[in-house]
Amino acid sequence: MKKTSIVGKNVRKLDSVEKAMGAATFTTDISLPHMLYGKVLRSPYPHAKIINIDTSEAEKHPGVEAVVCYKNTPRVKFNTSATSTFTIPPLQPVEDQYVFDSVVRYVGDEVAAVAAESMEIAEQAIKLIKVEYEELPAVFDPLEAMKTEAPLLHGQCKEGRNIPGEKIHMEMGDVEKGFEEADEVFEHTFKLPVQKQAQMETQAAVAKVGVDGRVTIWSTTQTPHPSQRILATIFGLPYSKVRVLNPPYIGGGFGVRIGLSAKAEPIAMALAMQAKKPVKVVYDRKEDFIASDTRHSGYVTVKTGVKKDGTFTARKMRGLLNAGAYCSWSAETPGVLGAMGLSVYRCANQMYDGHSVYTNTTPGGAMRGFGNPQAMFAIESQVDIIAEKLGLDPLDIRMKNMMKPGDQWVLPYKCQSSGLEECIKKGAAAINWDCRGKVEKGSTKKRGIGVGIGSHVSNAWPFCGDYSNAYITIHQDGSVLLATGVPDMGTGTITTLAQMAAETLGISFDKVSVTFADTESTPFDIGSHASRTCYASGIAVVAAANDAKKQILQYAAKKMEVEEEELQIENNNVLAINNPEKQLPLNKVAVDAHLEGQQFIGVGKIVPENAPPWLAHFAEVEVDTETGKVKVVKLVAAHDVGKAIHPQIVEGQLHGGLAQGIGYALSEEIKYNDKGQQLNDGFHKYMLPTAVDIPELEAIIVEAAEPSHPFGVKGVGETGLVATAPAIANAIFNAIGIRFFEIPITEEKVYKALLNKENE
Amino acid sequence: MAKTVLKMILNGKPVERLVSFDDTLLDALREDLGLTGTKKGCGKGECGACTIIMNGKAVNSCIVPALQAMDAAVETIEGIGTVEKLHPLQETFVDYGAIQCGFCTPGMIMSAKALLDKNVVPSREEIKEAIAGNVCRCTGYLKIEEAIMAAAEMMQSQQGK
Ligand code: FES
Ligand code: FES
Repeated sequence: MKKTSIVGKNVRKLDSVEKAMGAATFTTDISLPHMLYGKVLRSPYPHAKIINIDTSEAEKHPGVEAVVCYKNTPRVKFNTSATSTFTIPPLQPVEDQYVFDSVVRYVGDEVAAVAAESMEIAEQAIKLIKVEYEELPAVFDPLEAMKTEAPLLHGQCKEGRNIPGEKIHMEMGDVEKGFEEADEVFEHTFKLPVQKQAQMETQAAVAKVGVDGRVTIWSTTQTPHPSQRILATIFGLPYSKVRVLNPPYIGGGFGVRIGLSAKAEPIAMALAMQAKKPVKVVYDRKEDFIASDTRHSGYVTVKTGVKKDGTFTARKMRGLLNAGAYCSWSAETPGVLGAMGLSVYRCANQMYDGHSVYTNTTPGGAMRGFGNPQAMFAIESQVDIIAEKLGLDPLDIRMKNMMKPGDQWVLPYKCQSSGLEECIKKGAAAINWDCRGKVEKGSTKKRGIGVGIGSHVSNAWPFCGDYSNAYITIHQDGSVLLATGVPDMGTGTITTLAQMAAETLGISFDKVSVTFADTESTPFDIGSHASRTCYASGIAVVAAANDAKKQILQYAAKKMEVEEEELQIENNNVLAINNPEKQLPLNKVAVDAHLEGQQFIGVGKIVPENAPPWLAHFAEVEVDTETGKVKVVKLVAAHDVGKAIHPQIVEGQLHGGLAQGIGYALSEEIKYNDKGQQLNDGFHKYMLPTAVDIPELEAIIVEAAEPSHPFGVKGVGETGLVATAPAIANAIFNAIGIRFFEIPITEEKVYKALLNKENE
Repeated sequence: MAKTVLKMILNGKPVERLVSFDDTLLDALREDLGLTGTKKGCGKGECGACTIIMNGKAVNSCIVPALQAMDAAVETIEGIGTVEKLHPLQETFVDYGAIQCGFCTPGMIMSAKALLDKNVVPSREEIKEAIAGNVCRCTGYLKIEEAIMAAAEMMQSQQGK
């Protein structure tokens, strides 16, 4: 690859000074003249029919300017997730939500909303709404919800009782034959918890309706363009009359708002349309916990056939996820779970079946990793069980079976590069793998080391559609405006995209400005998710930059009387490659062109391929055998990211993912009581890792360049937690010899397991 | 609702604002004084996004009644540096990649500042302790701790001069 001067450098992030000064604007900071505050009334029941709703008292309450419920909002079905705008036929999107419905399906479901002059008045007013409910039978467990006596949440589903969308089936080779060839067959089922994104800024939207009917929505969405379509469709407006944008920052996402920000946008919009004034809807933390998507809980079963030497001959997987009350991403997540689960190891005979099941709980949706962490907890735990049984080193069995470029797999794109072996070797060295099992015995605190490997995607295709566009405009002074539809939710998107633009154009980084995440100033982009921005949006930006560059060189070639092919742009100068004396500053070229009636405008329109990033996680833990407390001592994450455009941003992504992975493994879970109420609905009841819980972290960047990206990039946004939980679980097994088939592995569970082991 | 005039020294300047008895200091700062740099992540004293410094101590402004700040010296993220001269913590948070979404950042910086104002040679443990009440869901805390260490060093050499 050509030497780069901006790509690969830790330039100052474009958003960081603003954010450090408290000057960056988030949706929750917006205040407009005459703005009202919206508050939502939520269901106390997990499943009920609204027999009667009387909003008259609330309407009369002084300061109240709008009250909305199912009676006066559009009866248009939708899906809050961006998938509904991008399901590829013959599959059909599952649209099972209204802004408000006459049936509520989980505790926290929307019943009505009020807009008032102040938040206090809005809060008083929702208490004045009288609702008469008829309680309906409810079901909370996906296995129960498939039984014939279970209540139907959304009527008959074509694939089975309470099953949204299509069941997923993937197959290659002959699984039964593979199991016959095996010397040993292993089968285990693993149970996964509900994890919450817990992004720091709650779901929020501000809607403003102009006198001409045009609507502007500032919101926390990770996908302004798809959200524009969802909102325009609900309210029956031309897409061009609905502007969705970030203001421009979002306080985190981790998947929770790929599509709408729960229902903040449509509720703010419905209220604003009725009040004819701007309305701000900000979920409080409890609402964010109980009434916006979570990671899917569920069950994953893995059956693997193995030869004595550790070669995998067959693998059969089944994924069963709890969809919660509405589909959201529940049709796609089981697919990613299976596809990722089957794509880390070479195995000629593989099969996957999976689907989700509706229950009366908070909807499961997208969260960093999107099914993959669920898959890999199961797979990587089982690989260690197999290694233990066959007396193999956990690293050897992985190296022996790991996927390599050119191997056959279930995915429709090719694996063209892999640095996985390097990841495993470097990670093993960093964790001191050779010392595994050699630590002193006898103490009540037992140390152990474990590993987990994995892969992921670099965009959303083939699980849903994916494409990107970008514009590059060269100003008359040679500075550049880059327009891209993707948000920057803290992942450094605008900085890395600007780096790629500057590098491609041969201009300095400080000459680039970015307009982003705004349906009015940027072309369509499916948004920030699926670890795709640096890869897919990046390819579009490079295409736009190359298009602009071609126009510049064509123009300059005439001026300089040199063939276009002999020209290059370097350091803001157009120069002849073989005769660098011959040069023109870019600002001169741009202003000359301007005086002759030409502006250089580059357009990039791309449909990305896809590429697997690779990763190996290593954990060292210390288990206190007297209390059951697990302390993670060190985590190493070696990741093949293809090319780190900005290494510091990449490390930051990995550290953040690791921290969420520690939480997934050891402490984070939303549980329910038998009334369908969420028991962990705030930060004090939901155990997020804080600074004192974080061990030594080591992020190792491996760069096996990816041929399908101009700079060799692969995705990294989600990979940091794909294999963290199994690495920790495997380390715990190494420390105390106890295998956990369920996460989070809490102090209490470990303590009980230690007692049981003693009593055996 | 009954209102009273709140007087305080905000970022070094005296201010007066009419506030309600049940307003929190966070409401007063964000809504009445337009200082939106201080964030609200929970409103219950559980996340630290609203951390400000009152009379030298880091507090969660979402659980402090506004009137409790009467005559107090209050510092917010807006008051500790300028674009021309960032506070050492702002400088190092930027340079060490300690900022991702940025929503926890103001509170995190204020917690760290309260520590460094008293102790410019903190241990790693003291830093962790100082920010233990500040949730960051993006960074995994490592780069934040490194940034605070580096700011402490900057402040040591500034004070040494
Ligand atoms: S907003 Fe004050 S602690 Fe969370
Ligand atoms: S940077 Fe996003 S929460 Fe800390």
